[in-house]
Amino acid sequence: MITKTIMCPKCKNQVTIEGKPGEKKNITCEKCNTKGVFTFPSDKPIKKADVGPAAIEVNGLTKIYKDLKAVDNLSFNVRKGEIFGLLGPNGAGKSTTIKAILSLIRTNSANIKINGHDIKTDGVEARRSVGYLPERVSFYNNLNPLQTMHFYCELWGVDKSIAKPLIREVGLEDAIKRKVGNFSKGMVQLLGVAQVMIGKPPVYILDEPMGGLDARWVKTIREKIKYLNEQGATILFSSHILSEVENLCDRVAIINKGKLIAEDTVPNLNKYLQIKPRLEISILGLNGKVPEEIRKMKGVESVNAEGDILYVTCESSIRIEVIAKLKDLGYNIKDIITIEPSLEDAFIKLIDKEEGGN
Amino acid sequence: MAIINPKTIYTIAKKEFMDNIRSKWIILISIIFIILTIVSAYVAGGTSDEVFGGMEATVVSLMSIYTLIIPLIAILLGFSTIAGEAETGSLSVVLSYPVKRIEVLIGKFLGLGSVLAVTPMIGFGISGIVIAAVIGAEEGLAFLVFIALAIVLGLIYLSLIIFISALCRTRVRAIAGGVALFFWAMIYGIIIMAIYVGTGGDLTKLMTGQATYPDWLFGSIIFSPGDLNQMAVMRAFDLNQAMGINLEAPDWMSMPFLIVVQMLWIIIPLFLAYYFFKKRDI
Repeated sequence: MITKTIMCPKCKNQVTIEGKPGEKKNITCEKCNTKGVFTFPSDKPIKKADVGPAAIEVNGLTKIYKDLKAVDNLSFNVRKGEIFGLLGPNGAGKSTTIKAILSLIRTNSANIKINGHDIKTDGVEARRSVGYLPERVSFYNNLNPLQTMHFYCELWGVDKSIAKPLIREVGLEDAIKRKVGNFSKGMVQLLGVAQVMIGKPPVYILDEPMGGLDARWVKTIREKIKYLNEQGATILFSSHILSEVENLCDRVAIINKGKLIAEDTVPNLNKYLQIKPRLEISILGLNGKVPEEIRKMKGVESVNAEGDILYVTCESSIRIEVIAKLKDLGYNIKDIITIEPSLEDAFIKLIDKEEGGN
Repeated sequence: MAIINPKTIYTIAKKEFMDNIRSKWIILISIIFIILTIVSAYVAGGTSDEVFGGMEATVVSLMSIYTLIIPLIAILLGFSTIAGEAETGSLSVVLSYPVKRIEVLIGKFLGLGSVLAVTPMIGFGISGIVIAAVIGAEEGLAFLVFIALAIVLGLIYLSLIIFISALCRTRVRAIAGGVALFFWAMIYGIIIMAIYVGTGGDLTKLMTGQATYPDWLFGSIIFSPGDLNQMAVMRAFDLNQAMGINLEAPDWMSMPFLIVVQMLWIIIPLFLAYYFFKKRDI
């Protein structure tokens, strides 16, 4: 049984209800009689089920460019229904991996399957289950978005009538008669997103879909990724900017120099790495002096001061103690911000470990 | 696996046609070409009494225009079709679709080939109609053959430039390859002439029509698609002289022979283009 308190949208009255995971419950507000339905979140979402073949299976992928080993015996699986982030610094081998999955490049060795279809023996069928947005997407300069989309509809073998709604969906309907050659980078990217949805494939592979775009486009693309996933699609996308991935991905694989460093959920990665939250305490009259008493506290990893701000990295459990101690010592605390451990930290730590270990 | 989907080929061809027929450069060069053909048909008329010259005189002057401009259009159409599109990313989108590379390649050749066919058809078509209207159309059929041969020349250069585009890693290298291809006839001509003079031939006698070409010199043109094509045009109109030079070709260099060699010039580079395109990293 789950207990949930809901606020009535009309009179702001709090209503407490009980139900089983996945259950739909009719609610009536005791005060103003407003009726509504609440669906309890299921404890294990069906779309995340780990059954059947993986959406993407990569086994022993190696790609050597002349003398550079771009990808080195890389293996990972993307489960059906998940959003999977492929992370790594620039030049880590992300694009090479993605291109190998789509058989755009020849590999030195690899066993890759998309939705159970081997890309070598069953390439056309494998590609029929994927929508792909390359890192740098480009179309044909002299065609307008509608002509471009019609071309891709024909190429995929679906009815052209879906072209217009898709253009509208990404917000390009005002530019429908303009040549794509005159489009901005963001608009081209949006057309790329429209193009990727044509075949309504079960799997989407997006290479740096938010790379180099301004905040507005990034938001649009994030929402699109979430939407597609809610519709049941599996999504693999790559990024070198971790904040893009953190709240979006179910699982991530981190690669560096063509090798897999980690493959896990975001919380697990943080737990495994034991990255501690950081406090930013603004203290009146601190003047860059670090209180030695705080440094000596158990559970405090590091302390440093910059002007009137004191940075304390410590175990979550002793955060309150740190504040209390500062108060006891007579510091005038103005503000406290807690920065939760981010994937960025995990990333830096992992790569440091990897490179330090070599 | 081995099944080719004609619908994919058609779709690619249609897209290439629609995109390139709207290209500013292609439109510009085609307009220049069309104006030049009409002007030269008019100027050729200066040699006879009519305002517009007869078919033969016109053909000779048109030949020098189209052997320059048709290859230029072909090279402009084709140089970036693989190297350039791989660089910008449009090719990776297409190849991520459920298509085969062979279908994409054939589609590109047919689509770009259709763009290429439009220009001579309009340019020569207009001047052909004008000439026929003014002085009659006795050699109308030969003129149609002439248009067909102009298209064949375009397809040869298109096939060659697609091969270069499939071979070259970058767009810039493909442009360099295109420039080399454009000047190939000239480069090759100089080499052959050097051999001719070096083996005791007399260039002055040759140029003034006092000497005829030795057979091997005629044979050498099988490596120069432009000359091969001109030879075919001269066969079609029974011309033995061009700009005062004797060009009586040996009998074995018949029209069917010339056609077959030109077809090989289309097919072989396309096969090579497929070989390099198939193993290319996009």
